[in-house]
Amino acid sequence: MMESKEKEYITSVGEGIYSINTGDWRINEPVLDQEKCKKCGLCFLYCPVFCIEKKDDYYEINYDYCKGCGICARECKSGAIKMVEKGSSSYAKN
Amino acid sequence: MPKTDVINGNKAAAVAVSLVEPDVIAAYPITPQSSIVEYLTQFVINNDIDSYMSEVESEHSAMSVLTGASLSGGRTFTATASQGLSLMYEPYFRASTLRLPVVMAVTNREMISPQTVWGGPQDSLSVRDAGWLQIYVEDNQEILDTIIQAYRIAEDKKVLLPINVCFDGFYLTHMTEKVEIPDKQDIDRFLPEYNPEHIILDSEKPMAVDPLTSGYLLMEYREKHLKAQQEALKLIEEVDSLYEGITGRSYGGLVENYKCDDADYVIVTMGSMTGACREAVDHKRNEGLKVGLLKIRALRPFPKQKVMEIISGKKAFGVVDRNVSFGWDTGIIYQEVKSALYDSKCYMPSVPFIGGLGGEDITIEHFEDAIVKIHEAYQNENNPQTVWLKN
Amino acid sequence: MRETIETLSNNKELISPGISACVGCNVELTLRTVMRVLGPNTIIAIPPGCMGGVGVVGWNKKSGANVPVFFPLLDNTASMLAGIKAYYKKIGRDINVVAFAGDGASVDCGFQSLSGAAERNDNIIYICYDNEGYMNTGYQRSASTTRGAWTSTTPVSKEKVGGKKQHKKDFPMIMAMHDIPYMATASPAYIPDLVNKVKKAMEVKEGLAYIHVLNPCLTGWGIKPNESIEVSRLSVQTRFFPLYEVVNGDFKLTVDIKKPKPVEQYINKIKKFSHLSKDDIEEIQNYVDKKWNKLKMSCVEGGRNDEQ
Repeated sequence: MMESKEKEYITSVGEGIYSINTGDWRINEPVLDQEKCKKCGLCFLYCPVFCIEKKDDYYEINYDYCKGCGICARECKSGAIKMVEKGSSSYAKN
Repeated sequence: MPKTDVINGNKAAAVAVSLVEPDVIAAYPITPQSSIVEYLTQFVINNDIDSYMSEVESEHSAMSVLTGASLSGGRTFTATASQGLSLMYEPYFRASTLRLPVVMAVTNREMISPQTVWGGPQDSLSVRDAGWLQIYVEDNQEILDTIIQAYRIAEDKKVLLPINVCFDGFYLTHMTEKVEIPDKQDIDRFLPEYNPEHIILDSEKPMAVDPLTSGYLLMEYREKHLKAQQEALKLIEEVDSLYEGITGRSYGGLVENYKCDDADYVIVTMGSMTGACREAVDHKRNEGLKVGLLKIRALRPFPKQKVMEIISGKKAFGVVDRNVSFGWDTGIIYQEVKSALYDSKCYMPSVPFIGGLGGEDITIEHFEDAIVKIHEAYQNENNPQTVWLKN
Repeated sequence: MRETIETLSNNKELISPGISACVGCNVELTLRTVMRVLGPNTIIAIPPGCMGGVGVVGWNKKSGANVPVFFPLLDNTASMLAGIKAYYKKIGRDINVVAFAGDGASVDCGFQSLSGAAERNDNIIYICYDNEGYMNTGYQRSASTTRGAWTSTTPVSKEKVGGKKQHKKDFPMIMAMHDIPYMATASPAYIPDLVNKVKKAMEVKEGLAYIHVLNPCLTGWGIKPNESIEVSRLSVQTRFFPLYEVVNGDFKLTVDIKKPKPVEQYINKIKKFSHLSKDDIEEIQNYVDKKWNKLKMSCVEGGRNDEQ
């Protein structure tokens, strides 16, 4: 079993990161149209999972953990983000 | 050079703490413990000791502050009693299951109702299965010496458990006796530094404390906790000997055996009542009754082997409890001692006694009567009901 | 806002990337934001509640964060942190010692230890994510639940009678009345404001800094996930939850709402209020107006007008 190789502790502590694949959850996913994007950063500020990454002069969606809540699309003032069915967009990797 | 002073039990406790100089002290006043807090705050303001003192708003917070400080790697101290201990129960249990070597004095006081402030170890005995080590002491010198030893026992890598040093309210907390105060340099040598690796909250070594945990792991942690309690059996004895090496004082470790070796009968005591019982044992021996006294010092871990060695093969024994075990119609220590003797495969009559509740005195005469009752139990080959030692 | 984006994008994520907070949860947003500001020199307490439940403290032998993180008890967060700070102060290390606690752990049973720590000037940062009830255990009411709200312990009859009878405990004000050096309210809809407040809390080196964040709970209150921020914003724009701070006793609105929207707009977005009558809503409106006016009178200066 995997457990036997794990470090042993005498009490309840944890080391190393525990994480679940929340990218699996989403039904719809956001697609960002770079041409319409005004680079205001609102989507970056409001994404609860911090899926929107700021690059030097633009923003990009990292789909790894995106739960598909749709806040980014709702908050975007320039209509640059649309929610589409998961997997139906060429932007979405997951 | 060690000094000699005439001080009460609470001051003996505070002086012991000042020799150890914990990093963080947190305490909330409660009768009969209050003067421990007063002495310690005075030591801190006088710069006699370099400890952080937190005057918390409750015992719940006292134990919580210490949990935090101990989790960060600090050495800690608090003291409480009775209702304070029960208010503290939630973080109290957790200090042991997190394996934090917190040291806490309990100035034993009855649990209400009825409303009372007088002595009796019902408070700490009621939490005997919360995973802490518990040592019950008899006089002021033993308070001081045991609190110092407690740090060495609790912080040992084989143990890593919190510890209570328990002593009777008023009988010890407020009574003055001659106490020898060891040299601080000797104590510094006696106590190695505490450097925890098993659990730590330190931004340089990120660790989660108490993640959500599955049952199989909880079982594993509990098993290790039980084993650590058993390791403490050896350590309490070792530390007692080591301490004797620097101060010349020993308390027998887990138990004190007073004239039991050649005895036909054994009477078991715990705490401050023991002095009067020793007298009674001597009187009865002078009258020709071969009786010995077994003083329980360590209640957790329970010194099962020692109790078996000392009592098995005798004609009868009795236990004087200054507490009650609801549902058993006896005191608590009686049940513990009887349970320990089961594996000795030798049956003998026994007598449960209850006395001294609510701070009532247990007199030499009480103990003499008790010894007679134990003798009679042997002669009549019966196990009497609980005998109440009333005034 | 540019500065906020710089801060948040330059700083490392310290929480596990995958935690099981509900889809659209603005508490997850608040926690991640706050942690990016606090940085790695931080010890964080997550008492039992939503954030503990979703795995921020970890699972079995793993952690949910890249900083020291722990479960205090539900009712001793502040005093455990006080002990940690006491030790680090004594050995001369300056570490952010921070609580991220729900309203149950702060306003209800955690109040005693928090009030004690505030009175003693324990130097900790205490952030309360207020989702107005025990949202992690199935939406039971707390002292922070607002009047009229449905919860699983303030149910509503078929005749639409019920909901919580009492108003919410005004906890930010109670904390301010402890005369702590820093008290602020914040909202996940006003991230730059929140970030500023966390930075100010970090500057406090004597005494307790308290930040109270109103986090509308999507699952427990009945809000659409993509409206998570919108509803949070409405709580501010209707003056239902004013954004202000109290620095060494001086009150200041950080976001002034000169032209408030009717409270009804906020209420209508939330299912837990769906049984309320016109009269009920009017009563809530009057209460909100009264509280706002009182707060306004305490303020030495008004904040910037809401620009959102």
